[in-house]
Amino acid sequence: MTTSDRELETLSAIMDGEADELELRRVLDSTSSDPALRARWRRQQMVRELLQTRRVRQPNIEVSSAVTEALAGGKSVYKNPLWSMAVAASVTMAVVLGGQQLLVPNNNAMQGSVISDVVGGVVPVLGAQPVQASLGAKSLPVAARQIDTADNERREVAAMYERLAQDRYRNLGRHHASAAAQTHPAPYISYIRAPAPTGQESAMQ
Amino acid sequence: MTASETDQQLVQRAQRGDLRAFDLLVLKYQGRIAALVSRYVSDPSEVEDVTQEAFIKAYRAIDKFRGDSAFYTWLYRIAANAAKNYLVSKRRRPGSDATIEDAEVGSQAALLADVGNPEAVAMGEELAAVVEDALSALPEELQAALTLREFEGLSYDDIAAVLDCPVGTVRSRIFRAREAIDERVKQQMSGESGFR
Repeated sequence: MTTSDRELETLSAIMDGEADELELRRVLDSTSSDPALRARWRRQQMVRELLQTRRVRQPNIEVSSAVTEALAGGKSVYKNPLWSMAVAASVTMAVVLGGQQLLVPNNNAMQGSVISDVVGGVVPVLGAQPVQASLGAKSLPVAARQIDTADNERREVAAMYERLAQDRYRNLGRHHASAAAQTHPAPYISYIRAPAPTGQESAMQ
Repeated sequence: MTASETDQQLVQRAQRGDLRAFDLLVLKYQGRIAALVSRYVSDPSEVEDVTQEAFIKAYRAIDKFRGDSAFYTWLYRIAANAAKNYLVSKRRRPGSDATIEDAEVGSQAALLADVGNPEAVAMGEELAAVVEDALSALPEELQAALTLREFEGLSYDDIAAVLDCPVGTVRSRIFRAREAIDERVKQQMSGESGFR
């Protein structure tokens, strides 16, 4: 019996669960470098299925090389471009969401920020001062707590985010205009229209 | 030891990071998993992609496989979920809901799986005829050893007791029987244009 025949006999025994650990290791060493041995294993499995069920399912499918390549660190090779896009999109979304999580200040980095819990939404508000809760203190009125439907809650949260975004935008505009006015040698007109501080907004508009 | 214990051996090696062992599991189950996926997805290239993705997910989650069920049953669940998720991602409603009972080899539902793929059905039928011919052409002692193994599921020790011969002889006879059948199957497949 040649070495190759021994390997093939071992492969047959592995299929039946009749090979020992050492034999399995030897065959695994060989299959990685011997396509003929892999093909033989595949055909043996097919023959077993044919004998036991009298038919074979999807005999022409071959994904093992692509799977091994992907798992070994190579790039996944998908046949359908939409599937590749779906996978890429999910990875992008994970990165974006993960990045957003990193940007949210944690408990130790809460200097200058306050967490608002309006209708269950947790919103970091940069620039605000944290307030220590104390017994007996009167809670701040939160109008949105009266909202009872899910749609209204969603709208309220969306409006709250909108207000926060507008506040940040105004603050940025003011800061930009102020900095430009102090540093620019010529009279400077900001390209960002900086609204007046709260209270004068309606008069400005 | 049984064939499912072979899976267990290969899984344990894969859990230790042995990709070669996982590769043998992929080669073993890719046809069946593709048949399952094709119950959800009709386009052949999509079937291939989802099958591939299912195996990649299985490998990445293989540490979670504790051996409470057969490896194929566990793999089947992952593949069914991958196929359903694929349909959802494409905003298509899953039209089939394969159950875990379908995972059993030879179940009627599973046998109906390839109805939508006439090429695969025809190829399978031709191969089945070739294997049947090759089996019936085997010398009696080889045929007996292989039949007791494949149809009765006996271990080599039990086959040796039935045939009244050493275990080494049983192992050799089964190998030679498979060798003879494989020659015929290989010829058939090399003539099939669609086979890769």
